[in-house]
Amino acid sequence: MKVIHDAVSIMTPFLLAAAGGLLTELSGTLTIALEGFMLIGAFSGVVFAHIIGSTSAGIIAGALASMIFALLYGGITYYLKANIFIAGLAANLLASGLTAMLSFSFFGTKGVIHFSDVEGLRAFHVPLLGEYSFMVYISWAVLLLIWFILNKTPLGMRIRGTGFDSETIRSIGLKPELYRLLSVLIAGFTCGLAGSMLSLSVSSFVPDMTAGRGWIALVVIYLGNRTIAGVLAASFVFGLSISLSNYAQGIVTIPSDFILAFPYILTVSAMIIYSIWQGRKKGVKE
Amino acid sequence: MPLLSLEGITRFYFESGVLANDNVTFRLNKGEIHALVGENGAGKTTLMKILYGLEKKDTGKLYFKGKEIEIHSPQDANRLGIGMVRQHFRLIDEFSVAQNCVLGMEPVKKGIFFDNGKALALVNRVIDENGFDLNGSDKVGSLPVGKQQQAAIVRMLCRNDEILILDEPTAVLTERQRDNLFKTLNKLKYKGKSVILITHKIYEIKRIADRVTVMRKGRIEGVYHNTDVDESTLSRLILGHDFNRGTAPAPGSKNTGTRGESIQEELPVLVMKDVVLFPSGTHKPLLENINLEVKRGEIVGVAGVSGNGLSELEDVVSGLIPLTSGSITLNGRDATSLSTAGRRSAGAAYVPADRMRRGVSLDASVLENMIIVRRSEFFKRGIFLKKDAYAYTRKLLSRFVIAGEPDIPVRNLSGGNIQKVILSRELSVDSDFIMFSQPAWGLDVSSSKFVHDRIALLRERKKGILLISTDLDEILELSTKIVVLYQGRVTGTFTNDAFLTKEFIGDYMLGVAGNGN
Repeated sequence: MKVIHDAVSIMTPFLLAAAGGLLTELSGTLTIALEGFMLIGAFSGVVFAHIIGSTSAGIIAGALASMIFALLYGGITYYLKANIFIAGLAANLLASGLTAMLSFSFFGTKGVIHFSDVEGLRAFHVPLLGEYSFMVYISWAVLLLIWFILNKTPLGMRIRGTGFDSETIRSIGLKPELYRLLSVLIAGFTCGLAGSMLSLSVSSFVPDMTAGRGWIALVVIYLGNRTIAGVLAASFVFGLSISLSNYAQGIVTIPSDFILAFPYILTVSAMIIYSIWQGRKKGVKE
Repeated sequence: MPLLSLEGITRFYFESGVLANDNVTFRLNKGEIHALVGENGAGKTTLMKILYGLEKKDTGKLYFKGKEIEIHSPQDANRLGIGMVRQHFRLIDEFSVAQNCVLGMEPVKKGIFFDNGKALALVNRVIDENGFDLNGSDKVGSLPVGKQQQAAIVRMLCRNDEILILDEPTAVLTERQRDNLFKTLNKLKYKGKSVILITHKIYEIKRIADRVTVMRKGRIEGVYHNTDVDESTLSRLILGHDFNRGTAPAPGSKNTGTRGESIQEELPVLVMKDVVLFPSGTHKPLLENINLEVKRGEIVGVAGVSGNGLSELEDVVSGLIPLTSGSITLNGRDATSLSTAGRRSAGAAYVPADRMRRGVSLDASVLENMIIVRRSEFFKRGIFLKKDAYAYTRKLLSRFVIAGEPDIPVRNLSGGNIQKVILSRELSVDSDFIMFSQPAWGLDVSSSKFVHDRIALLRERKKGILLISTDLDEILELSTKIVVLYQGRVTGTFTNDAFLTKEFIGDYMLGVAGNGN
């Protein structure tokens, strides 16, 4: 049970980042800058919690800062027509450098900054579910919200429409760039939450503390078959395998690297099976 | 005062060096149906794209209700109540008809949620009012092209636009559907809406338009009241010279004498035996026990109303969809499990109905589109023979009278020229069997005559041709044998002689006659 409980906590940043990333994917231009968005969120989250003196305010500030960063990325990509991969890579590198620079100029170190005055994330006990950090519950609410936006609102319809055929969207007088930018902003929001969760849970900022989670979130989107439910399941698989490997170190003699590689092996096999299945279903048409 | 006027519009395309609009003035009155006619490349579509904000103008002014306006995007046009169904209309395949229709003006409930029920009700009401054969909940991607176009028209009607631009709306409609569309347009006219109808069909202009503006080579040839011009004057204005339709050779009905020759002894180039297409997830077979033969020197016309298995037949013969059961033989070779490429090397060529997606690669150049089927001839030890490829492309361009350059993307060509590019490519490999699907769809008089003459010529060269078309005139004009499909079954097979009438075949197309076995 402890393994599953940990898995749910561990999966949360993946879940948040992937849910936002999913929107950008469905709008037709998957952003690879999730990692950078998260890092900006992590830095701003803990720093503003320290300045304002409130953890909740830190989370909000983290999400906002990440959205501003996402706006920059989105503006360059969709309005100045930069290549999405170059801009995405640039955003990731910029986030890493920018946080290091700000950390050095304000706190005098490029290393770990710890804020002893910042209260960590509070946990709540919910009957039947168990005791989790309140960010876990927020992530579920965010997931539900994104599901609603995607499937039940005109905005979601337009976002999906943009992904299916952006020229059609343009020909009926809507602006594909706008829906793509909105998706990126929402991704900025969810990644900001995910990042601040990382830093606030330890009341510290560690350089490059997102440690590839934003990249894994991209895998989660595809492993989850580009649906909200799938993203939830795929995040859980990642959470579970990381949680398992934490326990397995010391108990089992299998190298932990192998256990850590499990989700990736799973992804590759799942993608292969999925594409074969899709190919069968469609026949050979087009 | 006209409701809308476009004054002195000029548009020059640098990439292709074409002056698409040369000081064009077009005026539309309130409550009129105004036909805009001209050959492919005459500049009609460019002019309408400028009006709809899809294309920039170099010079000229737009006035709406007497005020000067600027239209920079379709959004600007929509705000003014201008709607357009384009020739290659755009819908989102993954959405339902209703979702497509309301996209951009979605009904909401509780302030934020998309109200699918209301959308369906609105769209189904418009469908019923206008007698379209559609359902708002149908997924667009699963509909045949004829119905997709209906959906595009329904979308505009749902939007309540003041000015409706229809670019070749009747190209894929059956006669009954066209009659319904014309009734709809007349109704809309009496409600005070204005319609711009881009068309090549003189018959349609005479039947429905109040006024007609004729364009030729980017210029206005004249503006007339419908009652002031007769059909031959119109066609002279459109083509710029006298054009006598009566002299086109009709191999089927007129050259009956040649059919009795030894052709029948020949090995058929295409044999379909008990072909069934019944994909899982469908309720009834899309094709049921099709038996069909195409011999050399034969044009087998497959007629039917769209949605009755014509496009499926195209898909199984081309090899894009595997059969459920039955067999297909090409030139005596079993082709049932061959891929499209395999069928090509077995001697089949294919001119698809969906030109823009299947027929060409829009962003590739004319040269690339033309040499693709013979690409190996333009490589020597892995080196591309650029000079040869250019020479070859220029040869095809002049032989098929295509207005274009080897380097420009096919996207920049007009519809008629795109079809000619496909034709030139498919005929460049000397295949014994050629399938044409809707070959003249959306083409102007001279381009469709060109295509039809080519098809007739192929028959004289003893090729076997399968001609799939919803245009019964085309089928009757060209075919030696006619096969009628209704709900995926062959309801009748006829020899095309002088006694065969449209009405007679029409009964089979609508399932009134023939038992389907």
